[in-house]
Amino acid sequence: MAANPMHQFQVYRIGPEIKLGNFDLSFTNASLFMLISAISICLFLYFGSKQKNIIPGRLQLVAELFYNFIAKMISDTAGSKAKPYFPFIFTLFMFVLICNMIGMLPYSFTVTSHIIVTLVMAMFIFIAVTIIGFLKHGLKYLSIFVPKGVPVVLLPLITIIEIISYLSRPVSLSVRLFANMMAGHTMLKVFGSFVISLGLLGGWLPLSFSVALTGLEILVAFLQAYVFAILTCIYLNDALNLHH
Amino acid sequence: MRLKVPFIIFIFCFETYLFAAEAGMPQLDAKYWLSQSFWLILIFFILYLALSRFFIPKIKNNLDDREKKIKDNLNEAKTFSELAEKKNLDYENQILNAKKEVVKIITESKKQLDKSINQKKQQFEIEIEKEVEKAEEEILNLKKNSLGSIHNIAEEISAKVIENITGEKLNESSIKASVAEISKKKIDKYL
Repeated sequence: MAANPMHQFQVYRIGPEIKLGNFDLSFTNASLFMLISAISICLFLYFGSKQKNIIPGRLQLVAELFYNFIAKMISDTAGSKAKPYFPFIFTLFMFVLICNMIGMLPYSFTVTSHIIVTLVMAMFIFIAVTIIGFLKHGLKYLSIFVPKGVPVVLLPLITIIEIISYLSRPVSLSVRLFANMMAGHTMLKVFGSFVISLGLLGGWLPLSFSVALTGLEILVAFLQAYVFAILTCIYLNDALNLHH
Repeated sequence: MRLKVPFIIFIFCFETYLFAAEAGMPQLDAKYWLSQSFWLILIFFILYLALSRFFIPKIKNNLDDREKKIKDNLNEAKTFSELAEKKNLDYENQILNAKKEVVKIITESKKQLDKSINQKKQQFEIEIEKEVEKAEEEILNLKKNSLGSIHNIAEEISAKVIENITGEKLNESSIKASVAEISKKKIDKYL
């Protein structure tokens, strides 16, 4: 089992098979870790907002730190118009962050290392942002593909490039997160198996690599959650404030 | 990140050879895609509801409460400090007024004292003059009285002196006459 570094990404069914017509909606280990992440977030925020101290406790401080962090990020990138979307972006950031962090625990499953999970989130954001854009600006939203101050000769080319880049947003958003998580965990696993195979004599070098990589991966876990959230904010900004 | 991209490409290429095989990427196995999407949407939606309805307002409330409390406390402190400043000003004014009053009182009492001293002085001067006059009068009286007694003493002394020299008693009246004569001539010099 340990020999295959990709084995950690295996999805398997837990409990009975749930079928809805032809569709298999069984509860899997991925679902389990999504649930664990969601419950962890709820518990963390529950204990983080339970007391109402003037001088906050540790958990309260961290919860408020996250709150202020996301609030500042949204107001910095998307302005005050994006305030109604704060709960969604906060949920998104917390969910991705906690999924990534829980994935760092040994023997756990990293929900965000699956392309389908990140793609669903990215597609949802993409479609939602597009709908918001059209609702706010009508057909004028299409002017997002026509940047200002571009020579007429270059305009068709630029517009095509803009359309491609706009359509590739969900792909880049989802692949960025998925690839980072998968690559990191694969590397960790590879170095972990090196420790075992090299034994007591030669295993120390990959072990030190493993330790360093763990630190790096925790950083990446946070960074990718942040990038995911801030890119959502930027896309939202494009939809809310056309040609700011 | 740059290191990881070739790695991913490698994994993808690897995948094309061993699609659906055990050694491939389980991520590309479509068997549980629907299940994962379904559970993701479900759990994320519930989490979103929980956070937006319950936890985020609570944290926001906490933060707002704290900000309000701090603001209130600051305002209170400000009003208190203003009050203290006012009181301090009052106190300083009072001290200034008191000092002015003290100076006033001192000058007034000095004036009064001077006045009364002058009065007393004048009174004393008048009294002293009176006394002096009295004394002068007395002295004058004494001088006048002493004239008579000087005559007597002079007569007695001269009678004795003559008696001692001559051994004879002289007639009193003659002595008196001579003494009176002499004293009339000379006594004016001393009186």
